[in-house]
Amino acid sequence: MLIPCPYCGQRDVSEFTYQGDGNRTRPNPSSTDRAAWNAYVYDRTNPAGEHREIWQHSGGCRAHIVVVRNTLTHAVVASSMARARTRADRREPT
Amino acid sequence: MSPRRAAQGGRIDRSGPVRFSFDGHAYTGCAGDSLASALLANGVSLFGRSFKYHRPRGVFAAGVDEPSALVTVLRDGIREPNIPATMLEIYDGLTVESQNRMPSLAFDVGALNQLAGPAIAAGFYYKTFMGPVFGPLKGTRFWMFCERFIRRAAGLGRAGYEKDPARYERMNAFCDVLVVGAGPAGLMAASAAAESGASVILAEQDAITGGSANWSGETIGETPAAEWAAATTDALAGRDNLRILTRTTVWGYYDGNTLAALERVGDHKPASPAGEPKHRHWTIRAKTVILATGALERPIVFPGNDRPGVMLAGAAQRYALEYGVLAGERAVVFTNNDNAYCSAAAMRDAGAEVAAIVDVRREISPAARELARQAGGELLLGHAVVDTEGGKAVTCAKVQPFDTASGTLSGSPKSITADCVLVSGGWSPTIHLASQAGGKPVWDEQQQAFLPPAPAQRWIGAGGLDGATTSEEALRQGWDAGRASVDGPPAPYAAPLVSSLELDARPAPVLEIPGKGKAFVDLQHDVTADDIRLAHREGFVSVEHLKRYTTLGMATDQGKTSNVPGLAIMAAALGKSIPDVGATRFRPPYSPVSIGSLAAERQAEIKPERLTPMHDWHVANGATMYSAGLWFRPMIYGQPGETVEQAYVREARAVREGVGMVDVSTLGKIAVQGPEAAEFLDRVYTNTFSTLPVNKARYGLMLREDGFVLDDGTTWRLGANDFLMTTTTANAGKVMQHLEYLLDVVWPQLRVHLTSVTDQWAGIAVAGPKSRAMLAACVSQTAVDDAALPFMGIVHGRIDDIPVMVCRLSFSGELAYEVYCGAGHGAQLWEALMAAGQPFGMVAYGLEALGTLRIEKGHVTGAEIDGRTTARDLHLDWMLSRKKPFVGSAMMDREGLIQPDRMQLVGLVSLDNRPLNGGGHIVEHGDGEIRDDSLGHITAACYSPARRQYIGLALVRNGKARVGTHAFVSDPMRDRFGPVEIVSHHMYDPQGSRMHG
Amino acid sequence: MADRLSPLEPVYRPGNHGNLAGGAGVVLGERQPGSIVQLAVWSGQERPALAVMLDVTGMRLPDGAGSGSAREDIAAFGFAPGRFLLVSEAEGLADRLRAALSEELGTVTDLSHGRTAFRIAGAKAEWVLAKLFAIDFALAAFPTGAGRSTSHHDIFAQIQRSGPEQFDLYVFRSFARSFWHTLCRAAEETGYEVR
Repeated sequence: MLIPCPYCGQRDVSEFTYQGDGNRTRPNPSSTDRAAWNAYVYDRTNPAGEHREIWQHSGGCRAHIVVVRNTLTHAVVASSMARARTRADRREPT
Repeated sequence: MSPRRAAQGGRIDRSGPVRFSFDGHAYTGCAGDSLASALLANGVSLFGRSFKYHRPRGVFAAGVDEPSALVTVLRDGIREPNIPATMLEIYDGLTVESQNRMPSLAFDVGALNQLAGPAIAAGFYYKTFMGPVFGPLKGTRFWMFCERFIRRAAGLGRAGYEKDPARYERMNAFCDVLVVGAGPAGLMAASAAAESGASVILAEQDAITGGSANWSGETIGETPAAEWAAATTDALAGRDNLRILTRTTVWGYYDGNTLAALERVGDHKPASPAGEPKHRHWTIRAKTVILATGALERPIVFPGNDRPGVMLAGAAQRYALEYGVLAGERAVVFTNNDNAYCSAAAMRDAGAEVAAIVDVRREISPAARELARQAGGELLLGHAVVDTEGGKAVTCAKVQPFDTASGTLSGSPKSITADCVLVSGGWSPTIHLASQAGGKPVWDEQQQAFLPPAPAQRWIGAGGLDGATTSEEALRQGWDAGRASVDGPPAPYAAPLVSSLELDARPAPVLEIPGKGKAFVDLQHDVTADDIRLAHREGFVSVEHLKRYTTLGMATDQGKTSNVPGLAIMAAALGKSIPDVGATRFRPPYSPVSIGSLAAERQAEIKPERLTPMHDWHVANGATMYSAGLWFRPMIYGQPGETVEQAYVREARAVREGVGMVDVSTLGKIAVQGPEAAEFLDRVYTNTFSTLPVNKARYGLMLREDGFVLDDGTTWRLGANDFLMTTTTANAGKVMQHLEYLLDVVWPQLRVHLTSVTDQWAGIAVAGPKSRAMLAACVSQTAVDDAALPFMGIVHGRIDDIPVMVCRLSFSGELAYEVYCGAGHGAQLWEALMAAGQPFGMVAYGLEALGTLRIEKGHVTGAEIDGRTTARDLHLDWMLSRKKPFVGSAMMDREGLIQPDRMQLVGLVSLDNRPLNGGGHIVEHGDGEIRDDSLGHITAACYSPARRQYIGLALVRNGKARVGTHAFVSDPMRDRFGPVEIVSHHMYDPQGSRMHG
Repeated sequence: MADRLSPLEPVYRPGNHGNLAGGAGVVLGERQPGSIVQLAVWSGQERPALAVMLDVTGMRLPDGAGSGSAREDIAAFGFAPGRFLLVSEAEGLADRLRAALSEELGTVTDLSHGRTAFRIAGAKAEWVLAKLFAIDFALAAFPTGAGRSTSHHDIFAQIQRSGPEQFDLYVFRSFARSFWHTLCRAAEETGYEVR
């Protein structure tokens, strides 16, 4: 499987580390909402089809990448820098 | 020259003999021969014994599809079994033996299995050896009894026990176009693609390019096809944007147009030059793939079809034209299609007699009729071969009238004397790679074959793979595919004239002739037509189940010749059509690959070694090294006659009483830099770092998001926005990834940079009551007294002329310091400290002593931070800030994480004065009975010189409440049982007075 | 100051090795540059930060991911978003750069001890490196001056093409000896000279 790193280009999957489901949102750090934390830490979507995932190009530029991947065909539909995505909805440091 | 060898023609070089041996007999062949062609030329017909029945077998094919003639190559003291004789090029000194025979190929006691034939039909193993035991000769125990005999009797070649000295390598390649197969279509495709300037790789599994051009007997352009192929190849070889890989089998088609190939670099050479691999594993990433993999002939299945001398018609043609070798001197050709008539004519041209052409069809094309006339011999239309006779070779074929429509025989058989039966059931496109790429193959009624699926990845088919039945068509398709692969406009195509005949491309839909006697479908696994029908009667209706139950197509040839006949027989049994039965999915590898090639990268070094700057000193000074992850670290610096325990006890005692030094360069070190670095540390550590002054260090604890402990270590503030974080050796990578994730995904707005500087710094811990005096004697440009360098303080200075950073912190519980310098100075610093320490009795200590010192102090490491322990479990709750949220703070107080009966860290003292061992269990009862009552386990153990006792650390259920009580160790694997006292984990100097002193 | 020791010291054997039938296909060596420095730039501050780099080093980098430039005395290339590796024959580059770079632009990290620099040069350099790394070394895909981050199993490497047939590799110091063995072994087929 090849993963397109926005910085390095197409690279073999062996250069990457899977860093989890990309659909999770971390609760506000001071939140005491147990259910929200539980969902963040443990709940994972597991779709048969397109899945939003976080991969780290750990054997390359080390950036975290949001990859939309079809779990049935391994086809990568989109990839972008995780930082770029999160900057888009930039908040004050919390 | 033998009578089986033509005086001229083919790819072989007759100028000098090549000497080789087969089963101890010396033979000669020609350069360019395969083992199969060379043995055939020597009149050898018997190549091996079959898998299950030990029946004599000859050579059945001429290429990668060979099911029968497998041999073992003996080379450099190594056995390499199951090599098809058809794919093995001979060289001077080649030594080969046949397989699966006891004691010799000609006389084989295992052939008695033939008499027991019906007893070992499909499912023999399942029926005999699985399930409940009824009677003495059933079930798993019976299998265990029989296994050793069966394993000897059944099977293929025997692997050796010697280490393979050969070199294997891997190679990564990138190209615009990968052309698989260098037959007429592949050569044209490569030419067209290369002309556009694209980078092209052309891979051919055989030793020479040309494919069918080498044995078609046609002319392309004005020259014999083989010469056209050679000239085309020469022209391609001159291009610098094209690489030709011969002896290279593309065996796997993976996601992302990534293909795997095996190049047999040295198999055909008597000796390889220095450094050259035997095999090279290629990973090829191609923008476009052109599959020009051709087609493989399949047989018609009939009783007695496995006798040596029964061979695919195309194979015989190939031996005649490509190698100048006659598969026999008097042939019967048996076919359901026109192509075999070419083979018949080719045999005749090469000097053999064609006794008869037997065709199941009543009508044939005029072109075929003309070929039959050229070939001579009887033309028996509407007939079938129903049996053969002969011992170790065919002596005659039995022929009988056959009706294609009803599939029945009539009349009575007649014998035709022949020493070979050349059979053709039509051709199946080699769709393996196309199928691996994804999609379902498509049945073509006309060709009675599966055509490749619509491309699921970027590949283009050409030639026989794509259903081309003439060379002319293949050339044209190759050209078009080559142009399409580079998105070029359809360029003018100067079609080379091809002298092919107007043959009928449609075989009759007959792939089996009924009759008595064993009719083999899968020659390599000894699966007969009756086995398939038996499986059907027993209820196997899915083709995937049938395959596994009968093992049809599961041998090393992966059913290249048996796939379609097997499906046809299954379909007939089910009363379905072949497409309704469906094909099994092809999976890599297309043909066998060496394990060595797959392991190539890890052959020289299983894993790399990480060495500290002081590594050579440790080794030179008697250290016993051991590996910790990838790192190599000194375990002990043993003195002559010392046991490991004596050595570490001596080292640890020296630290407690004087001064010692240990290499801590392996600790993970991360530079945390930027305006929000302190803020970031406050978020990831359970305690606070923003309040830490510059030139001070603090011990920190990190949790995972789920509230369990991740790692611990000290972090040094070197500047307002510049921190040096240390992690445990084992968790360095994990912590780095954890922090990088948080910065990239969770808090991208924080301006913090993380950089691994583990390798930038050499670190030496100097510990013991004399450490301060010792450092004062050698450190310049700074004081190291308690005022200048208080506990957790940092100073910068020099030792000799080496710039150093000294931090006063302690893992051993003694007054201690860590001295850091640039890694390139590490070895000099070590020696300088060693020299400066001599007056103070300096001792180098290893990990065992380090472990002993920390066990005595109850400090935790990876053995206790095992992913299941919380800060409270480890008595680290004092580090959990209540003033701020941090990673893990929201989850750490969950019910299950704060229960009192969790496993908690305790100290252990052996009460019987015997050593404890990590992994041993703690139980309540001391009677040695094994119960399910473990209270926990020992994480670390040692002899404590400070307490003069065997002690340990353990994680014990409700351990805090058990301090002061007795329990027992239960370690049945090491037969260690005995009483222990559970004590506080602080087993030495609990007030910490020594390190603050 | 004390000399910086090479991690390859006991295993570095100058001379010709491997299959020399066609002459040495590559020249392998360890370079010992005075400075290896990481410049890491905050998002959006690349232009001013690279202007500082130009002031301090005289190096100007082309735009684009992984772009770089190589001279004999100094080389620089991007290897990750916002991150550049600067390699200079002169010592003390980290201090000079740190003094010139505002914390509002980025950070400077001295890696002079932490990375070992290898050079492979010669007609077979691409061939030898392709055995170890799954990236495309062809000149069209990997132009002169450009940098790449990749790895050979556990060994992480930053690679700059410093000439049409020349590559400089930066590997974590602790892995250097293992990597040197691996590199030499890979070059045995083509023959190699150690200088």
